[in-house]
Amino acid sequence: MGVKEITLDFLFLLTKQSKMTSDSDKNAYPEPPRQTPVVDKQTALPNPALILTKLFYYSVDLPVTTFKELVDGIQSGNKQKYYHQKFRRVPDLTECTEGDYLCYYEAEMQWRRDYKVDQEIVKVVQERLRACQQREGASYQQNCANEIQQFSEVAKAYQSRYGDLGAYASSRKCLMKQKERMMAANAKA
Amino acid sequence: MVGMSVLRSAAAFAARLNPLKSGNFAPNLLSRTAIRTDKVAVRWESHGKQMFVIKPTGYYDTRFLKLLRFYILLTGIPVAVIVTAVNVFVGEAELAEIPEGYEPEHWEYYKHPITRWITRNFFDSPAKDYEKMMALIHIETEKAEMRLKQQEVRKHMRMNGDGPWFQIETLDKNLIDHSVKSTPDN
Repeated sequence: MGVKEITLDFLFLLTKQSKMTSDSDKNAYPEPPRQTPVVDKQTALPNPALILTKLFYYSVDLPVTTFKELVDGIQSGNKQKYYHQKFRRVPDLTECTEGDYLCYYEAEMQWRRDYKVDQEIVKVVQERLRACQQREGASYQQNCANEIQQFSEVAKAYQSRYGDLGAYASSRKCLMKQKERMMAANAKA
Repeated sequence: MVGMSVLRSAAAFAARLNPLKSGNFAPNLLSRTAIRTDKVAVRWESHGKQMFVIKPTGYYDTRFLKLLRFYILLTGIPVAVIVTAVNVFVGEAELAEIPEGYEPEHWEYYKHPITRWITRNFFDSPAKDYEKMMALIHIETEKAEMRLKQQEVRKHMRMNGDGPWFQIETLDKNLIDHSVKSTPDN
């Protein structure tokens, strides 16, 4: 067995046999089809990948998991809950009368929340693309075409809306950027 | 007495001339004699000669390090113990859907128990902070409006002159002495 096969075996066995790693959301991060071949051992030598996985299991995985289960047992009685806050929609900056600073403030706060949400959306799409590339390996450009296209769309949209606003970005500057975009589109048409 | 000093000075003179000769041993370290290297004191056995090692003082350094360790651990150990106990025995909160018709308190939006405790006992809720900021903005908006109005009114009062501002007090008419005048408008 070459070194490459051993490392691949090792990584595969590590993710499959360990209790610590577990994939979530099979729709966004689907598992590749199982390709484990029938074990056809032709040597009397032990499989080093198996030895290493067993070593890792008994030295790291098992103690950590038992400790976590212990702690979970202690904490299971009084589990607190936390929620995601839902904010009401308020009038936009375009719907505020001039000089109404209270309306400006509420619109600014809403824009900042939306900015954060958009940043997280970009991160999630990026993470999906990265996971897809890791799964497919060498043939990712062909198999991950959906993820690649989705990421490029999202990144282009983010860049055009929030692109070079900088550290002191505000809803007003974003609105001015949108105005410039619309003017450029009008000039081209 | 005199003979003793003569002998002593002779020994010192001989030592100075040839300090390496075994007969010329001068016991004084401060005399200019060479150090004997053929007989050295043994230091690595338990019954070796005790040496007075001359090195710079480590008193201030060790004192500083001891005090540093003491004052860091004085609060460091309780904090570490408390944080570990909280993480093991209380544990982080779990994400849940907001039940129908229930409005969570402002500390129920945080995960870690210590953050929840701090926001519950010491901080105002984000809604209250928002309202405080809105109150400040409202006060400043009113101030700005008042100032603009005051400028406008001032301009009109100055131009027209029939308002209560920009009235200059003059002396009483009855104080004018008309007796020296031929006509009243003199």
